[in-house]
Amino acid sequence: MLNKKVLNRALVLSAQYASLLAFGLFTTFPLLWAAAFGLSTDGSVAYRFPQGFVPHVADENGVYSIGVTFSWIHRVFVEIPFTQYFINSVIITTMAVIGTVVISVLAAYPLARMKFFGRNFIFVAIIVTMMLPAEASIVPNYITIKNFGDFANWLQLVLTGSDEGTWRKFIGLNSYFSAVAPSVAGAFGIFLMKQAFEAVPQDLIDAARVDGATEMQILWRVMLPVTAPSIAALGIFTLVNTWNDFLWPSVVLRAKEMQPLAVGVFNDLTGPLSGSQNTLMAAIVLTVIPVLVFFAFTQRYFISGMDGAVK
Amino acid sequence: MAGLTLKNIKKNYTKDVCVIKGVDLEIKDGEFVVFVGPSGCGKSTMMRMIAGLEEITSGELYIGDTLSNDIHASKRGIAMVFQSYALYPHMSVYDNMAFALKLAGTPKAEIDQRVKKAAEILQMTHLLERKPKALSGGQRQRVAIGRAIVRNPKVFLFDEPLSNLDAALRLNMRVELSKLHQELKTTMLYVTHDQVEAMTLADRIVVFNAGIVQQVGSPLEMYENPSNLFVASFLGSPKMNLFESQLVGLEQGSAVVRLPKGITVRASVDAGRAKVGDKVTIGIRPEHIELCAEGDAEGIPARVDLTEHLGDIVLAYIEIPGINEIICMKLPANMTGLKYGDAIRVKFPESQCMLFDAEGLAFKRLKK
Repeated sequence: MLNKKVLNRALVLSAQYASLLAFGLFTTFPLLWAAAFGLSTDGSVAYRFPQGFVPHVADENGVYSIGVTFSWIHRVFVEIPFTQYFINSVIITTMAVIGTVVISVLAAYPLARMKFFGRNFIFVAIIVTMMLPAEASIVPNYITIKNFGDFANWLQLVLTGSDEGTWRKFIGLNSYFSAVAPSVAGAFGIFLMKQAFEAVPQDLIDAARVDGATEMQILWRVMLPVTAPSIAALGIFTLVNTWNDFLWPSVVLRAKEMQPLAVGVFNDLTGPLSGSQNTLMAAIVLTVIPVLVFFAFTQRYFISGMDGAVK
Repeated sequence: MAGLTLKNIKKNYTKDVCVIKGVDLEIKDGEFVVFVGPSGCGKSTMMRMIAGLEEITSGELYIGDTLSNDIHASKRGIAMVFQSYALYPHMSVYDNMAFALKLAGTPKAEIDQRVKKAAEILQMTHLLERKPKALSGGQRQRVAIGRAIVRNPKVFLFDEPLSNLDAALRLNMRVELSKLHQELKTTMLYVTHDQVEAMTLADRIVVFNAGIVQQVGSPLEMYENPSNLFVASFLGSPKMNLFESQLVGLEQGSAVVRLPKGITVRASVDAGRAKVGDKVTIGIRPEHIELCAEGDAEGIPARVDLTEHLGDIVLAYIEIPGINEIICMKLPANMTGLKYGDAIRVKFPESQCMLFDAEGLAFKRLKK
């Protein structure tokens, strides 16, 4: 017999799942559409609804039916230096993740756990930078990076006597360094890690201190493993952000061979002189896939790992 | 192994906030000393200073014969067990216990041998591979103690180690700690706010209040001869009954005091430094109040307010007309007949009464 309670529960559950499903579709539909577009023979079905969400292929007579073609994906690798862009993206993202984690951890630990003069002021100053829109820092950062390059040039001249200007490539414009430098010391990472370190019970640190650990050993052997979920979250967050970042790399990386995917794909495949939209869509899908895969594997690190430490 | 010497130790957090106000204490090698006192009395701070986790504002701390004020916590030869256990959650039990030895660069074989030996003492060899989160509260506490044992410390520090355990487990661990002390014969310092733990574990108790040592002594000595009102009311459960009264007479070997409504009570103390008319406080422990026969002229009339049957004893809360305090008395378990409203007569035996002056300091008791 169906009583009221069961009915109620069923209604609530279906409402929950329906809204989750709607939300899921809402957030994924651009990607689904791009995927369908990129896997179709051409764009003639893509702008129809709902057929546009399913890939179509045309036979010799020009009749469209549901099917998949990988020709556009192949074209991506032929038309643009996709592999180079991909490698650039991987290098830039790796540098950003490692840099952000290292700097955030080393900056957050003293802010969270050591007592020194001006600690609160420094923390507030770091947080205040979050209130500036990212665009506001583009010009000063650009000038700074340019000066870095000039400095490298000067240094090379002074130290080696050569005026080739090759050192500029390491830290000046058009370097991987320039793409990640402004973001690695982000307030968000420091804030996140500070919160994580503050959540670690004082007793755990005292225990390590009594056990004979130095300050760096406490950080490395106790604090880092305990805050691993936060570090993983910060790493994943930085990875996704850097991978998808467009504006800053497009400003400092003008050389084509240094550009990451987001910049390269945009420059090569959009605009009035671009090729077919199918190539663009295929390239977009190819750009997103690595992040999706990475995300799927690292999701579980978002769960907290503090159980069993105290109490 | 080593003793501890504390010389005029003080701790200020800021200029005006002084939490330890000059502590002098000598702890002998191999002694089990318990710091006891209410929350915020400075006992944990004292222990953290000994451990090297808090700076000592002034005074001298000797561990053995070494002045240790500025020696790093890890070099003091102490091991500490925390109330929250403070196990490293990402390490197995074995690694938790081996951590300090690894940091000290002890050879692997020796680490292995020492960890296994400690695990044997604590009967937890089968737990060595587990992570802390897979252990119960009691097991975690054992690991925390094991972590201390493997280091062969000169002094063990226990900071309220049993507070997070349930009552039955606490009792077990208490016994085990006592046994451990007998086995290791190492100096142990133990902080607790539980006076039962203090009474049962300690060779000597140090009672703290407001950053000052109130009294130091063996548990029984403290129980029998508290030096002041604070110690008298802190030790013992249920606590000592205290009545404000007036000194009305001094005799050879006893003092006569008057409670409100003209009730007079004698206490066999040497009240020589007081004079008749002084305000005093008389105290008597619940187990020392005697029930007397109805016709007894010495008996003070009282009325039963409430009885609690604890199985082994009966606690009766009584009221004496004219005295506002509720008085607690401990009676044998067979006294089950008392009930609310019963009129009884009670007696305060002269030899069991304690007397404190207006400042709260005890008069010396005289044994007859």
